[in-house]
Amino acid sequence: MGERSVELPGLGTKFELDTDHGDKVAVIFLNTGKNQLYLLEKGRDTPAVANLTPAEARRMGSVLTGAVIEAEKEAVEIAFSALSDLRIRVHTYLARKNLAGKCIGDLQVRTRSGATIIAVARKGRNFISPPPSFAFEEGDILVLIGERDQLSAFEREILGI
Amino acid sequence: MDSLAFALFLCLILVLAARKLSIPPIPLYIVAGLIAGVSGLRLVQGDTISSYFGHLGLIFLLFSSGLEMKPGRFLAQGSRLILSGLIDLNVNLLLGFFAALALGFSPFDAFVIGSAFFDTSSAISLASLIENRRLLSSESETIIWLMLIEDLIMVFLIFLVSAEMENPALLTLKIVSVVVMIVLLVRLIRDPLINVLKRDDYIPTLLTFSAVICASAFAMALNVPEAVPLIILGATLARTDLATLQRITAPFRDVFLVILFFFFGATIPLSAEVSLFAVGAISLFAIISKVGAGVLIGRLLHHSNQSGVEIGIYTIARGEFAVALAAIYGSASVSTMVALMVIITSIAGSLICRYGDRLRSMASRGFPQ
Repeated sequence: MGERSVELPGLGTKFELDTDHGDKVAVIFLNTGKNQLYLLEKGRDTPAVANLTPAEARRMGSVLTGAVIEAEKEAVEIAFSALSDLRIRVHTYLARKNLAGKCIGDLQVRTRSGATIIAVARKGRNFISPPPSFAFEEGDILVLIGERDQLSAFEREILGI
Repeated sequence: MDSLAFALFLCLILVLAARKLSIPPIPLYIVAGLIAGVSGLRLVQGDTISSYFGHLGLIFLLFSSGLEMKPGRFLAQGSRLILSGLIDLNVNLLLGFFAALALGFSPFDAFVIGSAFFDTSSAISLASLIENRRLLSSESETIIWLMLIEDLIMVFLIFLVSAEMENPALLTLKIVSVVVMIVLLVRLIRDPLINVLKRDDYIPTLLTFSAVICASAFAMALNVPEAVPLIILGATLARTDLATLQRITAPFRDVFLVILFFFFGATIPLSAEVSLFAVGAISLFAIISKVGAGVLIGRLLHHSNQSGVEIGIYTIARGEFAVALAAIYGSASVSTMVALMVIITSIAGSLICRYGDRLRSMASRGFPQ
């Protein structure tokens, strides 16, 4: 497997990979921001070319690395191709009046729902791995990690939605 | 001013059509200028405004070439690449020069034509490589680096053409001092410069635009070829914030170049001295000389004639610097010759590249091995 990265002045950069099988794959990052994916099958003369936008390139990249990420407005789901049963969901929630003044330990978030609060964003300040003594204010954004059931339980039991 | 408005509007339509049809727009601008201008329908006239804008095209082109010049780059690519640049230069400049002399041009005019002969249009060549999906081949890498070396050599040729009159010793002294001044200045203000370029208002743009115009004015005041301060400025500023400078320079360069191409065509009084035969002969030589130089380079770098032909056909289209050179330094007959050669070679070049495979398979069917 041979790989090289080549500068193409005036155009961009090219990364080439010669696979063990004898095919050739190349990615060209053009200065204009677009990307091209070249595929040359073993024994053929002319390559096939796909044009990818930066977003499409990132998507292909994350698919190829094996961590498939789907992003929605409030949530991200991560699945690893080697562990297809394992789906980790990271979801954000807005703390309303009903949570103000209460702390994580009192609410028993983990015990009652199974989900874990991994971060809280408050007016530009971020608290990562907040302790059980951490008290919420109205307007906080909570970041939770867990399976779908656990997050649903959190929504029902703790948030009251 | 209405000439300019008409020209720009027309060029806009042409480039949209050209993109749709996947053909290079540069010959279209020149042809449109020829048709609309003094040798055709006389709808537009060149004036000081349009020629100033065209001149801005040249200086931004020189500056943006300077931005690409990192001295270490060429050395890293090895001596064989530099050798190919020299092969390209010798074959094409000499062939163009002697062909022009044979057709009756004066030595100076013949040199301008020879330089135009040498200058492949990087824009058309790179666009063809992308369009025809050739970027995977090692020949395409050679072509891309060759374009860069050509720019460097072309600057030198422009310098030679524009430096005709001065006393060489005085000129060298002035050039060396200009270079030293610019290098020292940029080094002195390097950090505040980088900070200004990081801003996201219009100041970086104003700074870049002013720097380029000032460099040109500086050159004119000292009577030194503009290429010198513009390239040096580009090369030194490239070490500050290259991406920002490239982003700012590109629109100015591209728009002013369109004006240059159109009014180049519009202001050429199609010289009756230049016969159709002369134009045809020069264009044919132009195609042959690039393919020939390409084959030599292909044998040197890729050890294959076929690679050489590939390199040759992708460098047939002549371009930006040739037009700029002829527009500013050429007489009417030189401009006529260069304009028609650029038009013919850019169209021929892009057709040959696009249909090259079909030509090759037709040829191999016709000559069974």
